[in-house]
Amino acid sequence: MIFAIESVDQDKYPELIDQMLRMRAEVFSGRLGWDVCVENGREIDRFDAEDPLYLLSLDERSGQLRGAVRLLPTTGPNMLRDVFSVLMPGGGVESPLIWESSRFAVNPRIFETKERAEANRTVNRTTVELLCGMVEVARQAGIQHIVSVFDARMARIFRSIDCRFEQFGTPARIGKTMTYAGLFDMSHDMRSRLGAAGNFREPVLADVVPPRPSAPGQMANAE
Amino acid sequence: MSDIVGSSFSTTLSHIAEVSDRESLDMVMKELAASYGLSSAAYFGIGVSGQSKGDPFLAVTYSSDWVEHYKERRFQEIDPVIQTGFRRLLPLDWDGFARSDERVKTLFGEASEFGLGRRGLSIPVHGRHGDRGLFSISCDHADRDWAHDKLLYLRDFQVLATHIHDKVLRLEGHRPKDSHLSPRELECLQWIAEGKTVWECATILGLSQHTVRCYLESARHKLNATSNTHAVSMAHRAGLLLPPL
Repeated sequence: MIFAIESVDQDKYPELIDQMLRMRAEVFSGRLGWDVCVENGREIDRFDAEDPLYLLSLDERSGQLRGAVRLLPTTGPNMLRDVFSVLMPGGGVESPLIWESSRFAVNPRIFETKERAEANRTVNRTTVELLCGMVEVARQAGIQHIVSVFDARMARIFRSIDCRFEQFGTPARIGKTMTYAGLFDMSHDMRSRLGAAGNFREPVLADVVPPRPSAPGQMANAE
Repeated sequence: MSDIVGSSFSTTLSHIAEVSDRESLDMVMKELAASYGLSSAAYFGIGVSGQSKGDPFLAVTYSSDWVEHYKERRFQEIDPVIQTGFRRLLPLDWDGFARSDERVKTLFGEASEFGLGRRGLSIPVHGRHGDRGLFSISCDHADRDWAHDKLLYLRDFQVLATHIHDKVLRLEGHRPKDSHLSPRELECLQWIAEGKTVWECATILGLSQHTVRCYLESARHKLNATSNTHAVSMAHRAGLLLPPL
């Protein structure tokens, strides 16, 4: 299930947000070796201070964080214009009907709690579920397109799950990473294709707030 | 209904473009509310004055009685729209507020006594430099129409809210943002100027239709244009397009 958490509400879910930032550190700094700033085991950048919307995929039973993505409007500060402008030499896109997604991550800890084959299935399912959540939340807000910066690995994943995108601008090597900008259509068709790829026929976006941790859980995480 | 909404949209956009002072903005807000059949429309801007501690910018169709009453009761301290709206990305449906809080319930109850609709929607606007806007509408639509109407409204009001916000920045003395068009955006406009449809543009440029629509949407936004035709004429005037073939 996908939960949308607004920045203004993040204090209500300190544990979830903290889990997300630690997962981002593990994925982007640890596994992918991106040049991101990690402090105290948490990856956080200046765009987290621009009031983004976070989508979190949580396991329905255990409440475990399976993955997350961050959404920003293209009218405000965003990564494509302010960080990755080299990918769009002629200038990026900007409109109230276009959002940007970034920090798309699936939790590597899934491999600790499941057998390899099952873990792989969960990772793929989580990827599709997050994308379904993006389309649903965009459509609810009247948003028509999402732009995103991603690497060759994500580009392959998008192709494998029939998540069509149009390449934008010119791919460029940034650090060790071949980096692409892509445009995703937030259409009913896109949602249907993703739904077919991941067997998500029903909405994935929860219309309730995320479950609040019980008292013992909070204690365990206070460390 | 969509036809009526469609013409309200382009008319309102061109009226916003013509706004030159606060009075004409107030007038446009009134026209907007009337043409969409709304009980009220309101714009709040923060960080738009250019000074760090500037007052919020207000343009509302509310009665002065309601504004006075609101201030007197210090509703801004508990109003969930004002308290959290500027920091949100998703539009706020006023239905979603927990009315368990007695004071919030009182606020919405008294608002309807002063002519606000029972249903409301607030759309946050994020600007480039920490400037934020919040555009709110209220209406008295029947429950069964609301879910449908809300989606139609959102499509228009996301764009209208941004145009109003950008206009307020101009009124407050900010220079227009210098967004230059990308080569792809110019190519799409060039073919639109030649009378091509989106489908034809897509075929000529080897892009999908949705990508062409995205470039055109972005070009309209950057030029503050009300339509593709308007964007073409503005790009022409700025000398950005080649002369017609």
